[in-house]
Amino acid sequence: MKKNISRLITTIVILFSLFSSTSCDDYLNVLPKGSKIPKTLADFEAFLRDEYSNQTTNVEQAIILLNDRYVTVANLNYYPLQKANYNWDETANRIELNSSDESTYYMQYKTINTCNLIIEYAPTATEATEAQKNELMAYAKVIRSMSYYVLVNFYADTYQASTASSELGVPLIESANLGAPYEQVTVKKIYDYIIQNVTEAIPYLPNFGTTPLHPGLGAAYAFLARVYLTMCDYTNAAKYADLALGINNQLYDWTAFYAANKTQIENAASYTRLIDPCNYTFVENYNYRHGATYYSAAENPVPIARIALFEQGDARCKARWKLYTAGNDTYYYSTLTGYHNYGGYTTTEVYLIKAECQAREDKLSDAMNTLNAVRKKRIIPEFYQDLTAASKADAIAKIRRTKDNEMLFSIVPFADARRFNAEGTYANTRTFSKVVGTTTVTLSPTSHMWTMPFPKGATDNPGNGTITQNVDK
Amino acid sequence: MINLINISTRRFIGTIILFTGFLFVSQNAGAQNVTLNLKNAPLKSVLKEIQKQTGYTFVYNDNLIQSQDPVNISVTNSSIKATLDELLLKMRIDYEIVGKQIILSPKKSAEKPGDKLRNITGRVLDDEGKPLVGVAVFVPGTPYGTITDNDGTYSFAVDNNPDLTVRFSFIGMETKDVKLGNQSRIDVSLSLSSYSIENVVVTGYQTISKERATGAFSKVTTKDFEVKRLSSFSNLLEGQVAGYNKGLIRGVTTMNGSKNPLYVIDGFPVENVKYTYYGATSEQLPDINFEDVESITVLKDAAATSIYGARAANGVIVITTKKAARGKTDISFSSSLTYTPYEFYTGNLADSRTMIDIEKEWAVLNPKLQSATASAYASNCLDKAIFPTSGIKNILSYYAGRISQAEMNAQLEVLASKGYNYIDQVSKYGKRDKLQQQYNLNVGNASDKNSVYASITYRSNRLEDINSKDESIGINLKNSLNVTKWMSVDFGTYINYSDGVTQTFNLMSPGYTIMPYDDLVNADGTNYTKTAAERYSVENLKKITDYKLYNMDITPMDEIYWNNQRSRDFTNRIYTRLNINILKDLKSSTSFQYEYGNYRISQLFDKRSYKVRSDVNSSVTYNAGEFRLPYGHEYYTSTNLTHGYTFRQQLDYNTKIKEKHEIVAQAGFEVRENQTKYNSDKLYNYDPDMLSYTPIDEKTLSSSASGAWGTFSLASNLDRPYFREYINRYVSLYGNAAYTFDSKYTFTGSIRWDRSNLWGTSSKYQNKPIYSVGLSWNLKSEDFFDVDWVDMLKIRFSHGIGGNIAKNSAPYMTASYSNNTTVGGIQGSVSTRPNPSLCWEKTTTNNFGVDFAFFDNRLNGALEIYKKAGEDLLANTMGVPTEGYGYTTYTINNGEMTNKGFEITLEGDLVKKKDYSFGGSFIAGYNKNKVTYVNVKAPVYYLALDYPESYPRIGNPYNAIYGYKWAGLSTTGLPQIYNSKGEVISTQPSDIESIVYLGTYTPVYNGSFSFNARYKNWTLYLQFNYEGGHKIRNTFVPALSASYSSALASYVTSLSYRVNSKITDRWKQAGDETKTNVPRLVFEYDPSYSSYLYTIYSMADINVLDADNLRLSNVSLSYKVPDLICKKIYMSGARLQFNIENAAMWAKSKEAKYMLGGYVKPNYVLGLYLNF
Repeated sequence: MKKNISRLITTIVILFSLFSSTSCDDYLNVLPKGSKIPKTLADFEAFLRDEYSNQTTNVEQAIILLNDRYVTVANLNYYPLQKANYNWDETANRIELNSSDESTYYMQYKTINTCNLIIEYAPTATEATEAQKNELMAYAKVIRSMSYYVLVNFYADTYQASTASSELGVPLIESANLGAPYEQVTVKKIYDYIIQNVTEAIPYLPNFGTTPLHPGLGAAYAFLARVYLTMCDYTNAAKYADLALGINNQLYDWTAFYAANKTQIENAASYTRLIDPCNYTFVENYNYRHGATYYSAAENPVPIARIALFEQGDARCKARWKLYTAGNDTYYYSTLTGYHNYGGYTTTEVYLIKAECQAREDKLSDAMNTLNAVRKKRIIPEFYQDLTAASKADAIAKIRRTKDNEMLFSIVPFADARRFNAEGTYANTRTFSKVVGTTTVTLSPTSHMWTMPFPKGATDNPGNGTITQNVDK
Repeated sequence: MINLINISTRRFIGTIILFTGFLFVSQNAGAQNVTLNLKNAPLKSVLKEIQKQTGYTFVYNDNLIQSQDPVNISVTNSSIKATLDELLLKMRIDYEIVGKQIILSPKKSAEKPGDKLRNITGRVLDDEGKPLVGVAVFVPGTPYGTITDNDGTYSFAVDNNPDLTVRFSFIGMETKDVKLGNQSRIDVSLSLSSYSIENVVVTGYQTISKERATGAFSKVTTKDFEVKRLSSFSNLLEGQVAGYNKGLIRGVTTMNGSKNPLYVIDGFPVENVKYTYYGATSEQLPDINFEDVESITVLKDAAATSIYGARAANGVIVITTKKAARGKTDISFSSSLTYTPYEFYTGNLADSRTMIDIEKEWAVLNPKLQSATASAYASNCLDKAIFPTSGIKNILSYYAGRISQAEMNAQLEVLASKGYNYIDQVSKYGKRDKLQQQYNLNVGNASDKNSVYASITYRSNRLEDINSKDESIGINLKNSLNVTKWMSVDFGTYINYSDGVTQTFNLMSPGYTIMPYDDLVNADGTNYTKTAAERYSVENLKKITDYKLYNMDITPMDEIYWNNQRSRDFTNRIYTRLNINILKDLKSSTSFQYEYGNYRISQLFDKRSYKVRSDVNSSVTYNAGEFRLPYGHEYYTSTNLTHGYTFRQQLDYNTKIKEKHEIVAQAGFEVRENQTKYNSDKLYNYDPDMLSYTPIDEKTLSSSASGAWGTFSLASNLDRPYFREYINRYVSLYGNAAYTFDSKYTFTGSIRWDRSNLWGTSSKYQNKPIYSVGLSWNLKSEDFFDVDWVDMLKIRFSHGIGGNIAKNSAPYMTASYSNNTTVGGIQGSVSTRPNPSLCWEKTTTNNFGVDFAFFDNRLNGALEIYKKAGEDLLANTMGVPTEGYGYTTYTINNGEMTNKGFEITLEGDLVKKKDYSFGGSFIAGYNKNKVTYVNVKAPVYYLALDYPESYPRIGNPYNAIYGYKWAGLSTTGLPQIYNSKGEVISTQPSDIESIVYLGTYTPVYNGSFSFNARYKNWTLYLQFNYEGGHKIRNTFVPALSASYSSALASYVTSLSYRVNSKITDRWKQAGDETKTNVPRLVFEYDPSYSSYLYTIYSMADINVLDADNLRLSNVSLSYKVPDLICKKIYMSGARLQFNIENAAMWAKSKEAKYMLGGYVKPNYVLGLYLNF
């Protein structure tokens, strides 16, 4: 009996020590699945392909302020901020109303955070060559700068050489860490930062990026052309426009698209949607970025008055919208669906930047030739005529019309309007006036409404820095 | 003097609580000699006095003593023997002194056992086969009887009459009656009675005596379940356990951790974690045959739960299943039939006429219909199919000139007269009364060597939807083998297999808008079809033709057969335990449990179904008009595969030193793993006979999927292969000790370390131990405490901490990855930001409790007062927008929350006679929850309304309801509220400060009271549950909500069958605002229309209702078939029981009653319980 017991005790002791000596750490080092700690360069590169987080450019309030998008009464009632911007209500305190409209700010800073993360972690990432690391960091620098461009043109005063170094811009944040410090720097500092980043990136960029979501050299040049134009630096704008066109100068033939789909487009009763060719693989693309939505969707509806600003016979316009009445509302209904490159860079914009630079340098016929190169691909032959400019102002007005139409739903018409407004000379090349109910309302070029207030969510929860509104209401 | 008081107290109690008790055991210390001087004193009190003076214990049958006349006795310093002789000799009572016990029994008859008398012998054992000493064995109503000796055996003479019944009775045990018949030997085993205030506490790791427990627990046993249908844990526990409410124990302790208590079956934690369709994890309650449950112990405070470590902060529910009793083979059978009549409550629903009136008002107020362009407008609305309801379509047809005014009026009148046609037809053709059947058979047998218990439960449910049903079978097997005197092996397994069909097509939302006047079945009895022509615009109808799309008609009564979901689950638990008595005081147990589960869902979407036709149509391309999805059955399958094991090695030490010091200690370690693998897939054009399918182009269909007919996207987890996996591992070390001095003072302590593989938890952050300490003082054992009617009085206090787990947080950055379907490659996003200071949640609990039993245990109960303080709770915090996380809340150890409360449990056996008895119980729990710290603020006002738990506010309960302050209707009948500045507004205020706290939706107090009354073989039981102090939002308000109209690309006023009938009280003209709070109808054409008008009204404080309610949750009437009849049909017991569950509810208002489910029909249960 005694023997049995001691034998058992021995067994138990062995059993006990067996389990306790098995390395506890090894046993517990099994990690949960479904997510992982990013380590390789590919793990970080994958962030750029997350289109929701890093490849959208929501500028909805700018589109609404320009009345480029049709908004129903029910929606205006529901969204007081939209109502203030849509009806140019200068008395509205948009700072208070901006309690739930934060996409522009939130998503651009989300993108900036991702790029900061990549730039911070890429140098130590595994499974990559130096060249691959540099290329990825270069993409991140360009994308980060593109986001800053949107932010500074949305929430801060227009760049003017005279005031840029004193006016406050937007927060500049360079670290992806929790509680990272930041400073709301001047407008000039943001522009300097953008140019510096893109310049640093250029040596490592291929002509076209790995995918349309990766901005290549063409995108970087096109972006710099836009940035310099916004800064009214026409020499540099023209220089980079030419560099960009050196990489891609193809224009999509919308008149051919019209011809191919004429039956459908001209059938006033059919609202069946066609696929927008201006998507990821569009021939004009330098790079691709979404507008407000990252999924496949129809375009915005457009007010009747806005369609009137298109040239007669504009094939692209005809392909995009049709007059529509439903219940109380009559407007232009979108007839294209799919993905739309509202946030990326295309040759059309670069042609039109070049045209304006030429006009600014008084090369009016060159400017018109550049403009006509685009128009030829847009205006149905039976309506097409070469445009000529009677004056510099006329040239600029004509270029602006085409550019506003072509760049509809991107930040460009809004940024251009602010630039024209600040510059003053050509501010009235597009005017804003309409009747709301029985009163006529206008949006003056000097209105405070051209600067959007920071969203409440950002100012109430500033983190490790402070944010000052750039506009009073 | 003391004597006199005792005597009068006893007499008083004797009168109010008519004793039928059998035995009285008590002990005291004192001298050997006795001095008495009593006149006309009841014998019982004389015995007590002797007991007090001598320290001898009397063991007797109450009947024997109470039948005696009061006595006069006067002795001085007399020996015990002399005193007893003096006292008892004349009373026909014999006595025998055994050690310190004096056993009293009726005087052995002078007559010799002959024709009239015979001898009965036998042995009485407890459930575990141990002899019971001092059990009263007697024949009620006769003087025959005796008491079992140290061996549990007895022997006495009795009349030779086979109809007599022998009763075995022992304090704390269930009384057992045995028909004498022709037997001369009767062996019985007695089981613990639930009334004896649960003598032991089962924590799962150990079984400790109630007297030594320092923690707060509630125990429910078989006897409490008897009056209920054994259908679910909540059914068994609701109203039985103070502090238990809707599956939670003592309120919510965590914000983001798991909120459910931990379930433990026979010592092993059982955790079932499954993935849902959408990849979220959900915790399932364990499968079990409820008939096997012997007791459920709910551990509520840290002293009780800390032994379970980091998962026990929400309390632990310990389930002990039945074991075989020693002796003859026990077989029992039960069956229950539950019937629930189907009813769709229409008491608060607008009928057809009300809805037609609203549709008419829509036309009358519509300026477009009053203008010159009315006809064009009406045609446009019809052609664009903007308004889907028949009423408005008729009106528009008139304005469009398609029908005459008379035709319109006639049509509208037909519709208006249809009452609740659609709902009536759904009830008649699409629903049925619910019928649930349950059968159980269990068998148990135990011998010295072996104990076997087995049970099988079969359930079959016919559910309300005519295609929904399920059945399950559960088999339980338990075996315990005594290998040697010092070693035993337990083995057990439980298998559950279930098979169910769920009708997924919902007749109340068939894919188009329904109005009360709509049809489901035509007048000729054929099924009604909602054609595409009635639902789509002219343009879309043309598309159907042009693209040769599949028919888009919907026939709801056909659809219900076409996409039913089949689920088949198989679960198994198996365990083994090796118990070794190493030394006299030292035991070892090694246990292992393995759990396996396979949950399979398959759903065949018939190719005839609207779902398939619509999917295929949505895949048609613009240009080529080609269907990218093949037409055919769609077949969806998903599987959850779970497995888990627990290994535990434990040493138990149990000793008593010098009779005064008792030490119980244990130490052990545990390894546990839980794993769940989930995968789902969908096949297109599946042929269930050929088992073939057509591959689809997943890449194309995932990306640019918009086509000529809407959008088909494989984006959903339900449409393409989907995988999830989850693994938890824990290694724990624990120890626990209790020291009792002199059966009076107990000190307990426990400590446990847990480490797991969860993100980062194997790191240094997790080495904090979880511990508890407790004290108890058994007042009744004190010499100075000398109150007769108190049978037990114990005060206890415990303090300790419990933990909770952060399953989704990590101290470093984690990212998740998936395929990019547009540009290709892998896309990734950061899923958790690095959180270097992450730790487990910590909940400190202090508990003060009193356990008591008075008047021979007739009244017993417990009182608990507690405070639970949660620290380092994982709370949401808003990401900083400038840091790029503006839309994300992430969790950090950022919350603090307290739960304070008290609990009362009272049970009383007021009357207990042979033929009748009456008793009752009262349970109350009060819990006040408060968030004491959190750093989060809803970034947008509506989030605070819609997700109050994500954005708790300091000072309010965690489960709070927020809303607007109502300011009455405007002079134009629009809803108005106050904003934060106190201004009356009719718009949505955009600041969070305008949103005010309106109460908690968790009951502040809840509990139950119940009564049981027995007359002969009939027992009636009533249980009332009550809860209160909380609120509920009325989500069924008399206003028209908004729905999105794709034709208008805007929100429109929504008409449907589900409109509150109080809408007839709406504002109609100026001045009504003083009489009503129901806003006027604001239609989409109104300049002031906005969907927020509905929101501010429905979210206003006037629509937050007092939720106090009282429910008659269970009525049970049972009939116990008389033993005589049972005997004739070879049964040892039979019972027939009828229950009404949820028989009635009383609430403060009709609205509250509706929201609380008070209009749901009761369940009627018929049960049959047989023992062989």
